[in-house]
Amino acid sequence: MKKKIVSLLLAGAMVASLTACGNSGSGGQASGGGKDGGAKGGNELTVWCWDPAFNIYAMNEAAKVYQKDHPDFKLNVVETPWADIQTKLTTAATSNKLDTLPDIVLLQDNAFQKNVLTYPDAFKDITGSGIDFTQFAKAKTAYSVVNGKNYGVPFDNGAVIAGYRTDVLEQAGFKADDFKDITWSKYQQMGEEILAKTGKPLLSCQAGESDLIMMMLQSAGGSLFDKDGKPSMVGNDKLKKVMETYASLVKSGVLIEVNDWDQYVGTLTNSTVGGTINGCWIMASIQTAEDQSGKWAITNMPKLEGVEGATNYSNNGGSSWAITSACKNSDLAYDFMAKTFAGSTSFYETILPKSGALSTFLPAAKSKVYAEPQKFFGDAPVYSTITDFASKIPSNNTGVYYYEARDAVATAITNVVAGADIDAEIKTAEDTVNFAMGK
Amino acid sequence: MDNSKKKLSLGQKQSLAGWAFLTPAVLIIAIMSFLPMIQALFLSFKTGAGANLKWTGTTNYVRMFQDPVFMQALKNNFIYLIIQVPIMLILALILASLLNNKDLRFKGLFRTAIFLPCATSLVSYAVIFRSLFAVDGLVNTVLIKLGFLSTGYNFLGHPNSARIVIILALIWRWTGYNMVFYLSGLQNIEYSIYESAKIDGASPIQSFWGITVPLLKPTILLTAIMSTNGTLQLFDESVNLTYGGPSNATITMSHYIYNVSFKYVPNFGYAAAMSYLILFLVAVLAFLQMKVGDKRD
Amino acid sequence: MTKGKKFLAYGFLTVVSILSVFPLYWMMVAATNKSVAVSRGTLMFGTELFNNIKKLFASQNVVGALGNSFKYSIVMTLVSLFICSIAGYGFEIFHDKAKDRVMSIILLAMMVPFAAIMIPLYQMFSKANLLNSTLGFILPSISTPFLIMMFRQSARSFPVDIMEAARLDGLNEFQIFCLMFVPTMRSTYAAALTITFMNAWNSYLWPKVIMSDASSITMPMMVANLKSGYVTDYGTLMLAVLLCTIPTVVVFFLLQKSFAEGITGAVK
Repeated sequence: MKKKIVSLLLAGAMVASLTACGNSGSGGQASGGGKDGGAKGGNELTVWCWDPAFNIYAMNEAAKVYQKDHPDFKLNVVETPWADIQTKLTTAATSNKLDTLPDIVLLQDNAFQKNVLTYPDAFKDITGSGIDFTQFAKAKTAYSVVNGKNYGVPFDNGAVIAGYRTDVLEQAGFKADDFKDITWSKYQQMGEEILAKTGKPLLSCQAGESDLIMMMLQSAGGSLFDKDGKPSMVGNDKLKKVMETYASLVKSGVLIEVNDWDQYVGTLTNSTVGGTINGCWIMASIQTAEDQSGKWAITNMPKLEGVEGATNYSNNGGSSWAITSACKNSDLAYDFMAKTFAGSTSFYETILPKSGALSTFLPAAKSKVYAEPQKFFGDAPVYSTITDFASKIPSNNTGVYYYEARDAVATAITNVVAGADIDAEIKTAEDTVNFAMGK
Repeated sequence: MDNSKKKLSLGQKQSLAGWAFLTPAVLIIAIMSFLPMIQALFLSFKTGAGANLKWTGTTNYVRMFQDPVFMQALKNNFIYLIIQVPIMLILALILASLLNNKDLRFKGLFRTAIFLPCATSLVSYAVIFRSLFAVDGLVNTVLIKLGFLSTGYNFLGHPNSARIVIILALIWRWTGYNMVFYLSGLQNIEYSIYESAKIDGASPIQSFWGITVPLLKPTILLTAIMSTNGTLQLFDESVNLTYGGPSNATITMSHYIYNVSFKYVPNFGYAAAMSYLILFLVAVLAFLQMKVGDKRD
Repeated sequence: MTKGKKFLAYGFLTVVSILSVFPLYWMMVAATNKSVAVSRGTLMFGTELFNNIKKLFASQNVVGALGNSFKYSIVMTLVSLFICSIAGYGFEIFHDKAKDRVMSIILLAMMVPFAAIMIPLYQMFSKANLLNSTLGFILPSISTPFLIMMFRQSARSFPVDIMEAARLDGLNEFQIFCLMFVPTMRSTYAAALTITFMNAWNSYLWPKVIMSDASSITMPMMVANLKSGYVTDYGTLMLAVLLCTIPTVVVFFLLQKSFAEGITGAVK
């Protein structure tokens, strides 16, 4: 019997293949025409973004806000992971098929300048679109400003927070307040004490990634590139100090490196570590461990010592909306953005509780919703605290070759931790970036 | 005209039928692969960021040999190829001949289990392999318990052990896949050959090398070419398992090409040139394998 | 086999099987647990399965993704099996110098990384207005050198003498292929079907590049969506991964007997 089924399957395969060929051909033509890309005119906008609990949710809520005054407005969100947005953008722009892009696309801040500079025809200059960019934190808008022109509407906040497990600190006789406005050497000193008394490192991060390095560097106003976009790593005292600090943290055991993102989140939810330092969006992952509610406190990050311009504030991650040249109805897109993401405090109040999407829209920080105490974080009003952090962050000059530089620095720090010479590794990293730039 | 058609010999007629049979497939390959490949070849002589490309002659081809990351990737690919492919193919052959044994029970179960890895989604398999080889992972726990190690070893944090993890992962994932071809190839070998060999006093190992391997030669050739190709184009494991690290010690050529095309400032000319090096290497190896293994005798 | 050898064989197969099945077991466990339990490395079944199902169906178009994946994979597999098997047969049965040379040339087609030809291919497809279409989705992978070579290699064992007999009976070449070759090569077809279905089911990069409608989502795209946010819900993710794995395993399970057992002697 079974054999019969199999041979039937196979025979069916042969027949169906002939007919399927014809069907798919006509099907292809039917749906092939003009459906791709941004909605043409009318009252509809198409958006690509990637997180249903976060930016997709925010976009849909923004549409609801806008629909109150514009009942005909329609928003079509296509869920597209960031890596795929980048691939599709590259493919479309390189093939000169920019009309296949949607009206609005969400870009990672780290990749913003690269994309605008590489594909100048793909995005609209929105400097004079009526959107008020002065309402946003300066370090945030800097990511989407290219040659003095605005290309992005800032969205989520990547302000760096330091989170501490108050119960772990207590065991070693510390309070979360002891970690406010401190330096890295003080951090390491207290961390070593905590490690000795509780066996828990204070910090974990992903090996082979340069997130923590970049956070430290930006906190002192440092960049991997100078104003002209040339790599400035060799002779960059801030970078050297950062690498020394990092290596010393690893050596002392206060910082442990894990091999991937999942393990990093695991160190937080498993209580393997006594704290973390990351973009404020990490709070969403922390909060998945419900049994740790009330045991976390949020404060600012440590600052570098003996470095000019060092602060306790930095940024990691975050994204901004760009309007593409495929958008045929730019007035609608500008008006939509101006009335929601760049103009409505009540919109940000709506999305905050459910998504934790902290805005960089400064008026929102003064709202009552932002000042509400958060039970998970020891009843502190963490949201207004973080929005306050955001206004103090020094700008980072990402430039076009930011990803190349980040990877080169990540390679360097891996080797430094393994015992290599810092100056030699920084030199190699700069050579790697120069090589990539010398096309 | 009619006359000449009738005069076609049987051989010519059959040859024409053969051409008719293979034309659709060849035509599609020509349009879907060769046409873009020719465009990519032109691209490989151009340079520039994104869509602004200029002719540059052979610069890209010179450039790749000065690129330390690409050279590292090339080396890594060959390490994987030389170590992993033979182990995997021999293991697949052994498993296939074990499972071809008429006396064995639960064959369906074993076969499905061994095939499972290649059907398992990359997402879960990368997560699992990384957690198995983590400092506090299962592998370290076992090694410590057995007394081989005193503290956990960060397998993914050291170049050679990270490469070994990739090789193990590849063997784990693709052995069952290759076994499928051998199992299907073994159906064309009469089981009675084995039985008479047994009567003649041949050991299972002797009949494996004496009967299975020679008769499966066409299939072995197929899998050898496939695996060589797959290993030199290796992408998934490098991207998902080790992220190319630590410090590029496990990155593969395809991973680097992807980075140059989509992660970094895109340089498609350079990416195309590197792709043509892969093509060249695979073609040479496939040619050698065909020379050795594709004789009709 | 002696008892000792048999024990060895079973032991070896059991170890290999357990190693192979472990990730699937882990996936099933994860799909029944809360995200935080998964990241804490639990190996015990939990009670969150229904919640995970609810969450997955609420956030993703699961039915649409399953439907699309089945549609694309089945069409792709069937078309591809037909085109490639007849070509492989043609290459081997009627082989001569010219055809052998063509075969070596088409092998080149699989040796270039897809990333390198993606841009030209995209330009071609957008000119031909094939973006966002089923045809555009399947066309680049319906004729593969690999499948052609697989059928060519197995046609080598096809008994030529029965073809002569069939020709004398008045069958034309296409009839010989359909009526004699296809049934004899059932084991090859079954293996090819399994592999092709799996490749089609898991294809990601090209479909993602040319499909930009929310309605054209496939299972691998759904899995990718689930891990792209700031927070990954591992329970839900692993449930999706499990759903994405099951169809290939079922296809394998149903077809394995035909490429592994008892087909020999069907024609002779």
